Formats: sequence, structure tokens, C-alpha cells
Amino acid sequence: MSSTLTTGEKPVKARTGLAILRSLATTTLTMVLVLAVVLGLWVAGLAIWDVDEFVGKGPADVWAYLVSDPDAAENREGMGGLLAQTLEDATIGFVVGMLAAIGFAMLIVRFKAVESAVMPVAMVFRSVPLVALAPIIILLAGRGALTVAIISGVVVLFPALVTTVFGLRSVSPQMRDVVTVYGGSEGAVLRKAAFPSALPSLFAAIRISVPGAITGALLAEWLATGKGMGSAIVSASRNGRINETWSLVVIVTVASVVLYLVAQLVESAVLARYGKNAGKA
Amino acid sequence: MKLSLRRDGRIVRSGAVLAAAALVLSGCGGSDDEASDGEGYGDVTVQLSWIKNAEFAGEFFADTNGYYTDAGFGDVTLNPGPGAIETLVASGEADFGLSNAIATAQLIDSEDAPLKIVGTKFQKNPFTILSLADGGNILTPEDLVGKTIGVQAGGNETLFDALLEVNGIDPADVTKVPVEYDPSPLIDGEVDGFLAYLTNESITVEFDGYDVANLPFADNGLPFVAESVIVNERTIEENPEMIKDFLRAEILGWKDALADPDEAARLAVEEYGADLDLSMDKELEQARIQAGLIVTPDVESNGLFTISDTLIEENLATLAAAGVDIEADDLFDLSLLTELLEEEPELAELPDDIELPTS
Repeated sequence: MSSTLTTGEKPVKARTGLAILRSLATTTLTMVLVLAVVLGLWVAGLAIWDVDEFVGKGPADVWAYLVSDPDAAENREGMGGLLAQTLEDATIGFVVGMLAAIGFAMLIVRFKAVESAVMPVAMVFRSVPLVALAPIIILLAGRGALTVAIISGVVVLFPALVTTVFGLRSVSPQMRDVVTVYGGSEGAVLRKAAFPSALPSLFAAIRISVPGAITGALLAEWLATGKGMGSAIVSASRNGRINETWSLVVIVTVASVVLYLVAQLVESAVLARYGKNAGKA
Repeated sequence: MKLSLRRDGRIVRSGAVLAAAALVLSGCGGSDDEASDGEGYGDVTVQLSWIKNAEFAGEFFADTNGYYTDAGFGDVTLNPGPGAIETLVASGEADFGLSNAIATAQLIDSEDAPLKIVGTKFQKNPFTILSLADGGNILTPEDLVGKTIGVQAGGNETLFDALLEVNGIDPADVTKVPVEYDPSPLIDGEVDGFLAYLTNESITVEFDGYDVANLPFADNGLPFVAESVIVNERTIEENPEMIKDFLRAEILGWKDALADPDEAARLAVEEYGADLDLSMDKELEQARIQAGLIVTPDVESNGLFTISDTLIEENLATLAAAGVDIEADDLFDLSLLTELLEEEPELAELPDDIELPTS
């Protein structure tokens, strides 16, 4: 990670504080850059493909819908409620998916046999489109939080699992030897050596999983619960409420980018705390 | 036994497709010459509201019997639905669309969509809340209270909300859950009711051996026209003759379809919807039932696709009840159809031997 400092002699606290500040600055800059690029692509895309103005709304239209129109306050309120619902659903998916990924990863690293049992199943869930699986999941689990957890969790699980397993296996033989020499068990190796060295991978998994959880939540809302942004986007676009559609997409995109960057911030703070080598994945 | 018959049918069918393809290929040169005459309108796209089944029998006839070609059209692409019909027509992706008065009016009202209805196929809309007789058994709007109803996101949601609105039912008393267009959640018992077409899912589920109950929108406070031809206002201004010629082809196609329901079903099952694995019995039943939605006393005196003033009033009242305030002139433009029928009064005559369902 670029944010890690090389000045090993400074006290840990100062090092951590500086790293967080630095990371905050980079993150804000990244955010501004990302938004500028997206806005540029948006405007350019509409112009290049000469999209009819009835469907091709630009940033100004979304601004009007959310900020300057007479109904803007009402529109914002509606979207706020939808976003809260989607974030709630995404949190369910994120927590369930990450916990499952970490749990399975530990089992896989500890017991080889588990890998050949878990991986194919995880793969099936990942490669069969959720749109096709959804009716079965709904039939088995209903249309409530459990289904949200399954659908959104499945989106999170596979990439997080692969990355975490890789991280846990990246513990160096020397570290492993040290723990074993002092009489530590396999479990102790996992706790004392493997986990710290897996941190960068774990955070990479978290970063991928944040937008993944939102995608999963949107899917679950569209196919199962009929609440939140996932259902609202489909409804607005099929109903030809074009300004609303664009605004929903903008809000979901911004929320996703912001949460990704927050995950990055947390990552650099934690990794800085763990010393200079921890960040070098 | 049944299976092998179907297999045989398939072989014959694919033979027919091959033969048709060969004909099309060999005919290519000819049609190119015609198109370069400069007289025609070129290729057009018609956005259908549903998959290519007997619901579009008239369009199949118009295509097969060359009414589109006679009217000066090149290739007519019948684009299957469901989809955002209004958006496609408003943005110019499709030249004509088949939608309904509520969905279109709502878009004109909320998004200033440049759309007009220029004629309608169904005088009565076929929307229904379908339920199983030994399940939800929803026969009156009050039966909806406390039930879980599967509603497809989009235009159908608007219709469902309107149904609750006009019947004074609090949306909080009904659980609305998202479904797609496959009625299996109803059969599985996952939902008590399912937004459907009287002419489609209702028949399919019944033919699967279930006793069905229907709550038709048209009989429960929501009469409005459906399968209505919508066009972009730009087309009305720039190319009114094209709309008239299209309507002529549609009327001729639907006259044929009404006169010959067997052929209407066959065109859907064996030709236009050949890859959909449609059932002949169901399509025949659909053709029979929808005749009752198309031919009303008004249509018998004024002609196919016409919308009487009384019906327009009824539509506006429905729309007002559903919360859409719109003037007749902002939604309907029937002047071109009226002109066409004045110029060619024989178009307004219906075939003598239409079988109407007794209801």
C-alpha cells in the first residue's frame, strides 16, 4: 500500500496518525477524481452515441430532480428512505458473506479436505446467475431478511473466500516454525502468525465485498423483497420515470464509491498500526 | 405418444422454417428493388407488449398477407415484450408501440413523454388478478385485503396501485411482492394472487388443471383501452400518412385474424412464436376470448381500432380515479384513424362470421 510509511524508527502512534491523515487526503482526492471521470464519461457517452434526450438524462437533469426542482425535497426524501433500506440490506449481506468467508477460509487452511468440499459449492453459487437461483431461494427462504442474507451473501462470499484463503496461506515458513518451536499448535499458528499476515488480503477482500454487498442487496430487493433501491430502479425504468431512474443510479453509485473509500481508509489505519510490512501485500 | 407427435411436429416445423428461410433468401433481390423505389417508408419497428403469441395474430396476418408491404413498409420488426414500451417509442427506438391507456397517460403526465394513442386493439383491457379457486379465490376487490399479490415491476405496478385506489383499499392492507411473468409463484402457493392477462396466464393456469378465479380490472372500476397503438408526436407531425398506412395494415390484419381464429393460433404456434413452445389449445382459446375484448357494439358500428367518445370519457374517469389528470387531447389523437375510415369506409366493416365468446 502506498500509504505505508518507511520510517520505522518513529513511535507507532505517530506513525499511525500520519498514515491516516495521508490516507484521508489520498482518499478525498481519489473520490473527487473518480466523480470527475464518471461525470465526464456520462456526458461524453450521451453525446458520442447521440442518445435521445427523452432517455439520455445528463448530470443537470439529475441535479434538477434532486436539488433544484420544486419537488426536489420530496424526491430526496423518497430516495433517502430507499437508500437506508438498501444499506441495511447490504450490511446484512456484507456481514453474513464476510463471516462465512472467514469461517470457511479458516477451515480450508486448517483441514485440506474442506477445500474440495466447499470450493465447488461456492463456485456453483457464484457461476449460476442469481436471477436463475432466486426463485428457488425465495421458495426455500421466503422474501425476508434471510433471503437478502443469502443472495447478497453469495455475491460477497466467493471473492472474499478466495482472497482470504490466499492471505492465510501467505504466512512464511519461518513464522510458522517459530510458533511450532515454542510448542504452538496448528490453531496457534493460525491465530498468531497466519491472521496478521493475512490482514492485507483480508482488507482487499473487504474492499471488493463492499460494492459486492450493495450489488447483492440490489438483486435481492429486485427479485425478492420489492423494497429499497433495487426494486425502485427496475420499477422506475420500466415505468419510464427516466429522471428518477438516473437519480437512483447516481445515488447508488456514489454510495458505493464512498463506502469503498471508507473501507480503504480503515484498511490503511489498521495496516499502519500493524507495522510497515503488514501493508505490503 | 403425445411426445412423439410433438417431436414429429417439430421436424415438420423446422422443415417449414428452412423452406421459409430459402424463400426469404431467394426473394432478397426483389425486395431490395422495391425498397429503392423511394415510395416506401423503409423498415419500421413495432414494440409489442408481450411475447409473440396469438395476442398479435393481426400483426402476424398483416405481415404474412403482405399488408405491411402493400402499405409501403420495408421490413417490419415485431419486437417482443415485455419492456418499457413507452420509453422505446418516446426515444425513437421503436416507431409504433402497443401499450395501454394508463401506462401511456402516466408517462405523458409525469415525464412529458411525446406520445399519443392513435387507435386501440382491445376496447376492454384484459388485466386481472388471477388466483386459484381453492387458494386465494379473489373475486371482489375486498378479497384482496390481507392477501399477498405478485405484481411485476413497472407498468403493471401502476395498474395495481390504481386498482386499489379506485376501490378504496388501503395499500398497507395488501402485501405486494415482486414477481416476473411466470405464474409458478401462484401455483406454488407463494402468492395468493398474481397480476395477469385474462387472455394469457389465466388460460395457461386453467389448462394446467387448476380452477381459477379472476378479478378483471375492467369490471372492477378500471375500464381502459389496452393494446393501444402509440406513436411519437414527431411521427404525427412529420409523417401522418405513415401512421394511416400502418393502421390500414393493422385493421386488415385483424379482420383476417378475427375471421380465422384457427389460422391465428397456427401462425402464433408454428411460425411467429415457433421457438416459444406455445400450446395450440391455449392460443386458440386466447384468440377466442380476446375477440370479445376487440369487438364491442361500438366497434361493430365504427370499425376496428376506433375509440368512441363515451369510451374516451370512461378512460379519463379511470385515469382521474388512479390519480392521473390528463385531457383527452393530450392522450388520444384519433384524427388520422377517422380520416382513414372516411377515405376508405369499407375498412370499418367487420367480417360476417366472427365467433364471439358468450359471456
